[in-house]
Amino acid sequence: MSRQYLAWGSADNAHPVDIFSLAVTDKQVLSASGSPSLKVHSTTEADFPLVQSIEGAHTLGCHHVVTDAKGSRAVSAGFAGDIKVWSCQDGHWSADETFSANLANVRVWAVALAEDGQYLAGVSQDGRVGVWDLGANGAQIRDHETKGSFGTCIDLSPDGRFIASGHENGAVYIFSTETGRMPFSLSGLVKPVRSVAFSPGGKILAAAGDSKVIVLYDTSSGEQIANLSGHAAWVLSLSWSSTGEYLLSSSFDGKAKVWSMDTKMCVATQSETEKAVWSVKWLPKSSRSEAFVTAGANRSLAFYREATGG
Amino acid sequence: MDLIQVNNGSGHVFCPIRMDMCSTTMSNYCTLKLYNHPMAQPSIITHPSMTGDAGESSVRTYIDNTLTTLLHELSLSPSEGQPSVTLRRRTNPAGYKVNPQNGALEAIEPVVSYRTYSWPGNSAFEAWRFTIIVRILSVIDEAIRVGQLISKRRVDPWDIYYIDPAYFRSQHVVDKIVDDLAYTIGVDRAALNIEAAGKGLVTGPFILRRDSQIVLDARSSAQGGHQDTLIPRIQENDEIDIFGARWVLIIEKEAVFHRLARNNYHMTALAGKGILITGKGYPDICTRAFIRRLFDFASNSNRRPPPIYALVDGDPDGISIMSTYKYGSLAHLHENARLAVPGLKYLGIRISDAVRVSDVSEGVLLSLTPRDRRKIHSMLRNSPIWADDGPEPEWRVELQRMLMLNVKAEIETIYERDGGLEAWIDRRMFRQA
Repeated sequence: MSRQYLAWGSADNAHPVDIFSLAVTDKQVLSASGSPSLKVHSTTEADFPLVQSIEGAHTLGCHHVVTDAKGSRAVSAGFAGDIKVWSCQDGHWSADETFSANLANVRVWAVALAEDGQYLAGVSQDGRVGVWDLGANGAQIRDHETKGSFGTCIDLSPDGRFIASGHENGAVYIFSTETGRMPFSLSGLVKPVRSVAFSPGGKILAAAGDSKVIVLYDTSSGEQIANLSGHAAWVLSLSWSSTGEYLLSSSFDGKAKVWSMDTKMCVATQSETEKAVWSVKWLPKSSRSEAFVTAGANRSLAFYREATGG
Repeated sequence: MDLIQVNNGSGHVFCPIRMDMCSTTMSNYCTLKLYNHPMAQPSIITHPSMTGDAGESSVRTYIDNTLTTLLHELSLSPSEGQPSVTLRRRTNPAGYKVNPQNGALEAIEPVVSYRTYSWPGNSAFEAWRFTIIVRILSVIDEAIRVGQLISKRRVDPWDIYYIDPAYFRSQHVVDKIVDDLAYTIGVDRAALNIEAAGKGLVTGPFILRRDSQIVLDARSSAQGGHQDTLIPRIQENDEIDIFGARWVLIIEKEAVFHRLARNNYHMTALAGKGILITGKGYPDICTRAFIRRLFDFASNSNRRPPPIYALVDGDPDGISIMSTYKYGSLAHLHENARLAVPGLKYLGIRISDAVRVSDVSEGVLLSLTPRDRRKIHSMLRNSPIWADDGPEPEWRVELQRMLMLNVKAEIETIYERDGGLEAWIDRRMFRQA
């Protein structure tokens, strides 16, 4: 059964160049692009107005931005290899200079922030996976070596028990944060992995990339549960709805797809653009219907909400 | 024992500077004592750069005076002389900018310094510099005298270097001193008759006119599929007429140029007849000067100048090569104003072009090497061209996409597309025209 998502609004030309990453809080969307400033858009007001522009955040541009569940902390990673920590008070973001300084020597590409904002996980260009404790001055508490393939993406399970990393050689690894061990090296993808994402309950890991197929793994056994086929181009980004009922994906050819976990079928496809959609995110569940945001090479944020029929 | 041959204006003398005098042990042996020639003093330097006959005569005057004075100094007793040569030099500027008037990459504040090399000097290094300056001067002197008698004779800096590679140590040393000498005398490098042989290739319907005479007519050879006309060295009053050409395509790679030329693309393109040019990687000055002259002449004629496109690899060097054509190079900042081609358009290839091809054939995308990533970082960080507020946001974001996906792609990947490279260029030119 297909579902309908309606265009709900957009922030057109939010950035002068490609938007590479989005992060959401309960009231805002943060967008990061090839220009130095991070932009903050309100999701509580109509038209999704720009509420803050963090100028000069990353001189060479920014490729990853992540937030904790409360929306009180964000971490961004720039093309210069610079990691910055941001804190939010009353909807206004400011640089957390102390933490940024603590992480000055951290060399990671992709980053993920734990729900409570305390732990930062990152994967480096030479495939190392690290965890840093922001509650302890940014001290590194985990350091996992993999086979050295470029770490393109990383995620932390919402319960904090697992880290997953995706790599250029198609490898996907799951690490236990408690034991520091790697229970699984997951098979199934042979081409570069571009996104990994844990389901809200942490039971499923979704991984996808240049093979265009989204692979679902059982995190307790490492077995493949399903392959979601339908994208005609590289899959760049994945996001789970808050209930875990739906998985959202985007691809290099400008498509965003919604997949039902019930049927393992694609239930909706959005194609507003032919340009790469670098990032997609569900907005946190509110009293309104389910909604998501997409952004990429067309430099705009596009918002969609579920058609409720009423 | 090597001796430097020096012209004092009236004949040949042998200046007793041994080629191995750069060693400290030989310094004691030296009895050469000279003082600065007035021409080398900052106050007497002429501005702006002269070209043509005026330039040549000032070069001759400078060399004659300098060498004559050096010889005079030789005759003085060791206690009286101050043997030295002062060069005006360009030093690394604090930063770079794109000049909005001419679209050229330039120094923010050109830094000029003066450096005096004395004999025997305070160090072996200084003594060595002094002797190579004198030696290069003698080569220039000879080139100009021979050039006057026979025809324009050009000396390749490589040729100077190969006279004695161990002595000159690197071609860069020769290059830098030739640059400094030109700047000191206040002429273009061309006036010293020292220029590298061109390496660029061109094909397509054009003629080169010099003093109203046609010296190169590529129209018939273009028809016949003759592929590889070496790009001629452009002189002061040369005119390049590309009547009939609807486009100019600058190609990074020689192999791609040969493919297009062999397939007669310059005569059969959908957009009409055109000119194919390659500088074989980073272009030399000769190639850049040719393109600029071609563009200038087309702009000055009544016709609308044809668009000039760049076809480069989807990697940091490809983007950097395109930038060298359009804005100029860091190595020759002072030349960029006369060589820049501000209207240059980015035809491709972009990572997105190659990603589409990768759907149907394997291996078209390559991973960036650590060197590639460092090169992109350095481009984004150090050049105004790829700056956030710079003139080329599309180039900037293309470099970022490479970093983001960790991929690069070569022009040859487009061979795999429907209709091959030629059909792809047809479509792309049509879209961008």
